Amino acid sequence: MHEMGIASSILDAVRKEAALRPGMRVAKVGVRLGELGGVDTESLRFCFDALVLETELEPLELAIETSSDDALDLTYLELEEYGPRTTATQSTERE
Amino acid sequence: MDRVPLQRKVLSENDRIAALLREEFSRRGILCLNFISSPGSGKTSLLERTLAALPPSSRAAVLTGDIQTDNDARRLSRYGFPVQQITTAGACHLDARMIERALGAWNLDSIGLLLIENVGNLVCPASYDLGEDAKVVVLSVTEGEDKPLKYPATFFKSRAVIFNKIDLLPYVPLDLELAKQNARSVHPGIEIIETSCTTGHGLDVWRSWLARAISGKSPRSVGSVPAAR
Repeated sequence: MHEMGIASSILDAVRKEAALRPGMRVAKVGVRLGELGGVDTESLRFCFDALVLETELEPLELAIETSSDDALDLTYLELEEYGPRTTATQSTERE
Repeated sequence: MDRVPLQRKVLSENDRIAALLREEFSRRGILCLNFISSPGSGKTSLLERTLAALPPSSRAAVLTGDIQTDNDARRLSRYGFPVQQITTAGACHLDARMIERALGAWNLDSIGLLLIENVGNLVCPASYDLGEDAKVVVLSVTEGEDKPLKYPATFFKSRAVIFNKIDLLPYVPLDLELAKQNARSVHPGIEIIETSCTTGHGLDVWRSWLARAISGKSPRSVGSVPAAR
């Protein structure tokens, strides 16, 4: 139920990190979700995609690993340099 | 592609505020409890029975969260202690910032015990640290004995579980021993209390638990650590 808030917090962190790294964009963000963390994976993906859609962060991949504890952690970011986009579906401007 | 490791909590901003609150509570010797349950388990009734028996010297205060209405605050404000309703306008849990904001309206010098009634929900509140000393989960016997297994996060993170509406036990199919076993399977050290707010059964046990928790908490500035700020 609170996955929208969790997704929003993940994106806040992504934006904060991206601001520290001019010229780079975040392509993927890794999170660790514990089984006792009370966060539903599918619901989080749904909310994450909905919040990324048509924003400057798109395309942004969410990589989820699970653990047996109550983790709700950001684990890594994958960054790439801004450059000519090669994907044909790329439509949003990013500057 | 560069991979940058990030080892931090997703809810680090919430946790940062919660840590500040915990520090503040600790410095002032305020015991803070966060009550979590599904809707209708009797959290508000339990708090009413708790407040009714507390002396003014306990300096209790209550924050009660709901998505809408201030009905709970009105019920709880009859006992002579300060009460604030936090209406979350849709959010299914309280977060640390809501607590920080609400406490801004009060003089913390006049508070010794802060009871937080979370939004009725066994899932989401578990993820949000409010700076409390302990979470207490309330489970009524009209719910299933498998609740601890279905919502393990809340039971795993709670210091105590209160089985409420225990007077209804003869009329409902709940297997109390199995429910306790399930709670212990998720959290072996969880303390178990049985209460009925209707008959008063077990409220003395609950009040002693609370009294012990209060006496276990004293202002840090009383000791050798100089008061901060």
